[in-house]
Amino acid sequence: MPEPTANRSGLVCVGLNYKTTPVEVRERLAFPEAQVPQAVQQVRGLPGFEESVVLSTCNRVELYAAHSLPSGDHGHAALRDYLVTHFKLQPEHAEALVLYNLDSAEAARHLFRVVSGLDSMVLGETEIFGQVKAAYKVALDTGTTSRALNKLFQQAFTVGKKVRNETTIQRGSTSVGSVAVDLAEKVHDLKECRVMLVGAGEMSRTCAQSLLSRGAKSVIVSNRSYDKAVELASEMKGTALKFEEWESVLHEVDVIISSTSAPHFVIKPEQIEQVMRKRRWNPLLLIDIAVPRDVDPAVNEIEGVYLYDIDALQAIADDGRRERERQLVACERIIEEQLEKYGFLQSPGSTQHGFVTS
Amino acid sequence: MTLSQQFLAAATLTFVSAVVQALLALKSGAWKQGRMQLVLMTLGFALQTGFIYLRGQEVGQCPMKSLSDILVFIAWSIVLLYFLVGSGYRLSLLGLFTSPLVSIMQIMALVGGFAPYKPKGQVNSLIELHAAVALIAYAAFALACITGVMYLVQERMLKRHKIGGLFYQLPPIQGLAGAIQRLVRLGLLLLSISLGISFALHTPVSNPKLIFSWVVWALYALITVLMWKHVTSPRRTAWLAVIGFILPFISLWIVTHA
Repeated sequence: MPEPTANRSGLVCVGLNYKTTPVEVRERLAFPEAQVPQAVQQVRGLPGFEESVVLSTCNRVELYAAHSLPSGDHGHAALRDYLVTHFKLQPEHAEALVLYNLDSAEAARHLFRVVSGLDSMVLGETEIFGQVKAAYKVALDTGTTSRALNKLFQQAFTVGKKVRNETTIQRGSTSVGSVAVDLAEKVHDLKECRVMLVGAGEMSRTCAQSLLSRGAKSVIVSNRSYDKAVELASEMKGTALKFEEWESVLHEVDVIISSTSAPHFVIKPEQIEQVMRKRRWNPLLLIDIAVPRDVDPAVNEIEGVYLYDIDALQAIADDGRRERERQLVACERIIEEQLEKYGFLQSPGSTQHGFVTS
Repeated sequence: MTLSQQFLAAATLTFVSAVVQALLALKSGAWKQGRMQLVLMTLGFALQTGFIYLRGQEVGQCPMKSLSDILVFIAWSIVLLYFLVGSGYRLSLLGLFTSPLVSIMQIMALVGGFAPYKPKGQVNSLIELHAAVALIAYAAFALACITGVMYLVQERMLKRHKIGGLFYQLPPIQGLAGAIQRLVRLGLLLLSISLGISFALHTPVSNPKLIFSWVVWALYALITVLMWKHVTSPRRTAWLAVIGFILPFISLWIVTHA
């Protein structure tokens, strides 16, 4: 194969994330969505810069760029100065700013890890894939990418898909809210799923919001303080119910999330047996996140009823996290293989990888 | 080994490969509703179809006279229903449960052997239709049995809080309960059509094949009524669909040896 006679673009990535920077600093350095097109143009307009992509999410701000500067250090310094100037940081804040400065293979490896969810707060989460795609599309539409970054990001999306297809990094739930969703999905079709909160604690709210965000049909909130029930119901576009009335609608709901502060069992087997007859054996999921527990464990013995208390939910979430951590080695191996395949791990003199401009 | 039997052996190997592939993937924890499963099932089905065609040429009629032929025809019908019913249910996973059953049936058929036979007189297309529809009905009952197993597995995992790899691949138990009902109703409808055709055949009612078919029909009619009236829980319905399939399975011996 003939050696291309070309100028080689350098690749740099400068960024900060939830590991390096606290949220109160991150929120000041985030690019509002509407300003990202302008930002990518400003970065590309910096002397010696040829291409740019800006990724700005709640957990990270990263600038990817291809440049023709003498070294990566020049690129890092220019991007750091850009951030300081753009966000008008005071000298003491600018001095305290911790950024990661990555070059060539390190930058590509970092992007591959980000796209695969390995650098996320929740290991293996999939939302970041869409966020990177959106950031790339903005840059593409604005015309600030060319051969080098187009190739890098396409490769990153391929790697991200490969990691997800060949490992189980995204499988399993890692939080109580997502466990509740997974369980509800395995009992009912979520689109038809009606949820009732008995008690309006913070954890119930999280679980209900997770269910609604994944398509649950409706939510009813019943709480000893009716005002609080109304407040929470309106927040979730649901219906509030007086606490003395919650039993009357038990047979109409598919998932019950209970979190009252009652010192005794609130939901008993005899109630649920009656409910199941009315439901004609339609299955019922009970999530008891109260301590002390609200639901008598004997309820789990009733056919078609599935009861999970907070310990059971937590154990499943812990298993999910451990399972994802076990997959980490396989994911990193895939990324290294792909870096090798795309030529990022070759010697500096090589021209095999994507950062060659004619 | 005749050419038709070579086709059947190849089909069986393909279905066994589907089982092995699914089990290995499950063991590694990376089970996905994979394209490979679908490819293997499609290839297996094509080879099964080839066998039935060649075997039909050999015996000069639709090959449903010996137990081995019937087993293969039902296995073929199960795979046919797997494709027809499957699309709506993420049923590539059904392959995990379907392919072992189909493999076992075909291995039994291969071990039993394929004796030659010729039609007694002219082939009656109504009799062939009656038998074919009955066998497809039995395949629907077999799929209901498999779906019942899936329901029981998923139900057990949910009850015991055992959330593992298979858990994430199985459909919601409510959906599985609905699938069992639909498959039992489909099988009952097909068996009713088959028995309806038998009236046009002027077959004596004392014919043991027919009597046993009516017994099977009565069993599934009872299950349908129990489901319709919500007399039993979905779990018991799943057990009925699983255990109930023993009856049509036994009837195959009676049908072929009577």
